[in-house]
Amino acid sequence: MKNNFKFLSELIKLRLSHIMTFRLGFFCPFFINTSYFLVQLFAFEAIYGHVDNIRGWGHGEILIFIGTFSLIDALNMTICFFGVISIPEKIQTGELDLYLTKPVNPLLRITFEKVNPGSIPLLIFSACIIAYGVRESGMSLSYSNIIGYLLMVMLMTILYYDMELLIRCFAFFVFSVNNLVKIENTAIDLCLKIPGIAFSGIYKFIFYCVLPYGVIATLPTQVFIGALSAKGLMFGVVIVCVFTLLALSFWTYGVHRYESASS
Amino acid sequence: MKKYLEIARAYMKAQLIWRSDTFVDVILAVAKILFAWILWSILFEGKEQIAGLGFQAMISYYIISSYLFQMEKSAEISQQMTGMLRNGTFSKYMVIPVQTQGYFVAMEAGKIAFSAGIGLFAAFLWFYLFRIPLVHTANGKILLCGIIMVVLGLVFMAELNYFLGILTLKFEEISTFLMIKDNFAAFVTGAVIPLVLLPEWITEGMRFLPFYYVTYLPSMLFIGECEDEAITGLIVLSVWCIVFIVLNQVTYEHYRIKYDGAGI
Repeated sequence: MKNNFKFLSELIKLRLSHIMTFRLGFFCPFFINTSYFLVQLFAFEAIYGHVDNIRGWGHGEILIFIGTFSLIDALNMTICFFGVISIPEKIQTGELDLYLTKPVNPLLRITFEKVNPGSIPLLIFSACIIAYGVRESGMSLSYSNIIGYLLMVMLMTILYYDMELLIRCFAFFVFSVNNLVKIENTAIDLCLKIPGIAFSGIYKFIFYCVLPYGVIATLPTQVFIGALSAKGLMFGVVIVCVFTLLALSFWTYGVHRYESASS
Repeated sequence: MKKYLEIARAYMKAQLIWRSDTFVDVILAVAKILFAWILWSILFEGKEQIAGLGFQAMISYYIISSYLFQMEKSAEISQQMTGMLRNGTFSKYMVIPVQTQGYFVAMEAGKIAFSAGIGLFAAFLWFYLFRIPLVHTANGKILLCGIIMVVLGLVFMAELNYFLGILTLKFEEISTFLMIKDNFAAFVTGAVIPLVLLPEWITEGMRFLPFYYVTYLPSMLFIGECEDEAITGLIVLSVWCIVFIVLNQVTYEHYRIKYDGAGI
């Protein structure tokens, strides 16, 4: 464990010095993500400008929801996104060999080797959206809500990572995962526009249990506004555990099946 | 002209290689329509109209705009150009006896011709399967205006992306800019939400820009809305197309001497 932390710290130092060589690249994720969330924010404002509330959530709660999604995405972009998205290419080109033959956990290295601090400003931007949402809703915050919210954001960031990893691990078995990534993007797009509380029936099952993008920003928002039941909290913890186990097992199985560049 | 038709035909045939991509595109179009259905059925609860559109009109708008947006694949032009200019393989377009601008527009036309047919079939299939009553215009002239506007819109987007591709010669690395452009393009063309939902002063300003006429206005015309804007739209979009054709020619002639065939 201690060795892993030491390794991670060296990896991040190396990454930072590499980023400084290409300074424009440092801010690329920030500009791209900011433009994406500005568009989503405009779309939200346009839609919800004509609707008073959605299943009991007013304008303020919806803003907290968007800010939370943006926050989780920014955390993901900062920590692991660029590492995880490189998995399919590493499998196709056989570059994964270099990771498997080193005396460190290959997944740990891939996950943290492309840390990108360029997305940090987006965290601040997301916090501003959340603060604006809190002001709009006129709610009073308690310490327990804030701590619960931060813990839930952490859990949901892990869930987001699990989903990313699961989809990229298909590259062990198929030639291209581009189409799966398109499906992932479409599902994220939807779940960014509709809070999970609005789903019912089969859609709720799909976006809560199969492609759980529906819970990613919804559960933290519910904790924040004090609307999450103990059952909901339990569900959040269980779904993260299940998907983490699933993603790690799928990765391990894929690595066992991996036959270098000929895979 | 024959050369360009041959290029378009070659690229149309090449689309058959990526059959699974075409299949996934069709599935994704359904997913988008389904998602629009979920979103708007929730938002329309207890409401007859939102921004002057009823629920059926809203869903019809999404089906048509999603079909038009999916048909438009010109972002590939700038991505392809920037890649080839950077790695030095763009030379192959410079040595063949066709204009590069014409080549890329013909390439785009070939790709669209294939996906348009499949997409149209899929759209009708979903209308039938989901029993969605399509709200549409009964005016033949407006329908024709809409079709011409769609074609002009596709030409404009191809020209715009070609222009962005050329800028690689000047700025070397434009991929970040292209991603930002893609994010905003989806919004300003009306593919994310109907622009009628935006405040009036924003849509007023957007009428001077070409993006308003690429997906949004044709979709509205097809569902029988904004009919009084049809002719103005055709004129504005035609002007933008001409401006970009000239701009592309001038920019290309100006910057092509910077390309040395060895990549950047």
